[in-house]
Amino acid sequence: MGILIRDILEESAKKFADIKAVKWLAKKEIQERSYSELMENVIAIRKGLQAEGFNGKHISLIGTSSVEWIESYLGIITGNTVAVPLDAGLPAEDLVDLVNRSDSEALFLSPKNKALLDGILAECPKIRKVWMLQEEGIEASGEKTASLADLKASSSKCNSDISAPSPDDIATIIFTSGTTGKSKGVMLTQNNLATNVESVDYTTDPGSILLSVLPIHHAFCLVMDWLKGFSLGTTICINDSLLHMVKNMGIFKPDVMLMVPMMIETIYKRLASADAAIPKKVLADNVFGGNLKIIFTGGAHLDPFYIGEFAEYGVEVLEGYGMSECSPVISSNTPETHKAGSIGKPLPNAEIKFENGEILVKGSSVMKGYYQMPEETAETLKDGWLHTGDKGYMDEDGFLFINGRVKNLIILSNGENISPEEIENKLALDALVGEVIVTGEDNGLTARIYPDQDVVAAKGLDEEAIKMALQAFLDQYNKNQPTYRQITGLVVRKNPFIRSATKKIKRQEALIDEPLPMA
Amino acid sequence: MTKEMQFKTVVAQYCKVKPEDMGNDMRFREDLGFSSLDFMSFLGELEDTFDVELEEEDALKILTVGEALELLEKL
Repeated sequence: MGILIRDILEESAKKFADIKAVKWLAKKEIQERSYSELMENVIAIRKGLQAEGFNGKHISLIGTSSVEWIESYLGIITGNTVAVPLDAGLPAEDLVDLVNRSDSEALFLSPKNKALLDGILAECPKIRKVWMLQEEGIEASGEKTASLADLKASSSKCNSDISAPSPDDIATIIFTSGTTGKSKGVMLTQNNLATNVESVDYTTDPGSILLSVLPIHHAFCLVMDWLKGFSLGTTICINDSLLHMVKNMGIFKPDVMLMVPMMIETIYKRLASADAAIPKKVLADNVFGGNLKIIFTGGAHLDPFYIGEFAEYGVEVLEGYGMSECSPVISSNTPETHKAGSIGKPLPNAEIKFENGEILVKGSSVMKGYYQMPEETAETLKDGWLHTGDKGYMDEDGFLFINGRVKNLIILSNGENISPEEIENKLALDALVGEVIVTGEDNGLTARIYPDQDVVAAKGLDEEAIKMALQAFLDQYNKNQPTYRQITGLVVRKNPFIRSATKKIKRQEALIDEPLPMA
Repeated sequence: MTKEMQFKTVVAQYCKVKPEDMGNDMRFREDLGFSSLDFMSFLGELEDTFDVELEEEDALKILTVGEALELLEKL
């Protein structure tokens, strides 16, 4: 029993054949792909994968949003292969680790990330083939590398289309930050994804415009922008860079968008700093493109203040809640049913209960488990109930609210989940760093460091020299990190951290006994 | 308005520091409180305001107001 993404996509390709499925900018010109053209490419890719002998295998994708990326992803998950979307912004060694840990045997790689190619081929022994996410123009890089056009051409070797997967088959593995510092591969089945798409109570006219601005390797973007969008016959426009988000709203004129709270906060700064004499309607048209009615937000909690402010510009902000482990949406406000400050009502396929205040979820969108991590899976999934790590409650009207966290993860307003230990382990490698705790503020990470007193004494460092040396070290560390993992605040402690009886640093008391942040 | 003041007026949209109080050694993230997205949005606005095209990879390495001004002068 269950449904497949392939069924949803095939139905859309029939119903919306001539509607534009994807639009994007290439050399400042708008390019388009219809639903029937998209489906044709998806079928060619899945047949190509079969012809090249990858049936049943895991295949990674590294790249930012592009029509080639999503067609390849759909080619993988509508066949009998498993897609592993990875964050192209991660350092090369982290990507190599994830390709290896996911047991990927092939890779789709964006031309922008071509610098990773040699390292991956050298350090990922299971990788048999890399397809560059471009149609042509591949320089000879050995027999393991080819273009997407080559893969599609291979499909001619496969006479009939391949059989559909089963609803319970793994469709995708999405990596998410682990509390132990090692990211975990969330295994989502066909049915997990498809029922999440169907359970989110939102509909719109075919051909409505959605501008996709979130990172495509994230479950929220992948499932709600793309898979949900395709199920409704939406035209999904690709934002080519976060530098151009507002400009692209003017170009594509979206009706609806999905954002993380940080995006809403940034746009609000632009609205609020505008000349008060400009009528709000004019300003809204200027900033939002003129048609935007709804912003769905998730990934982190949004201050309800922004909901009221955006309403004055004619834009309804609807907050939802989810996590990769739930494919990802658990609850959402909708245009018809909403309450500011809440994260909406649970989806019809999600059963909710509370254990010591923690939100537990059961239902058809709950993951199968973490890939090759039975212990972590057992800790999170107990008798079919997923332990979210978030504390919350449900009000008398059935709206869910969040009021704390059980697990030690930092949730930034850009929706990124950060494991502080992962970063602390890297920062601790510097000789001057004696003890370090990373904490999350509204829009970034702060390293709270107690310098190693032996190094301070040996080098005769004063307060200013310590701060300068640590800042230089952090600047160097930041250079190799994606923006969301960069340290933007430094607090140099005068005393060691408070420790428990077992000598562990008491994380919840990390802010006690320290100087004010330095400007 | 000088180019520098015009530039600092764009910066001031994202923070509470007035253009006239903005030192060139101030850091966008640490001193002016820019979020990572504020900074990207700001770079996009610079492109529009001064009709220039920034190389994203280089622009994202900028840390201080002075460095951004310097990059703008070079274009």
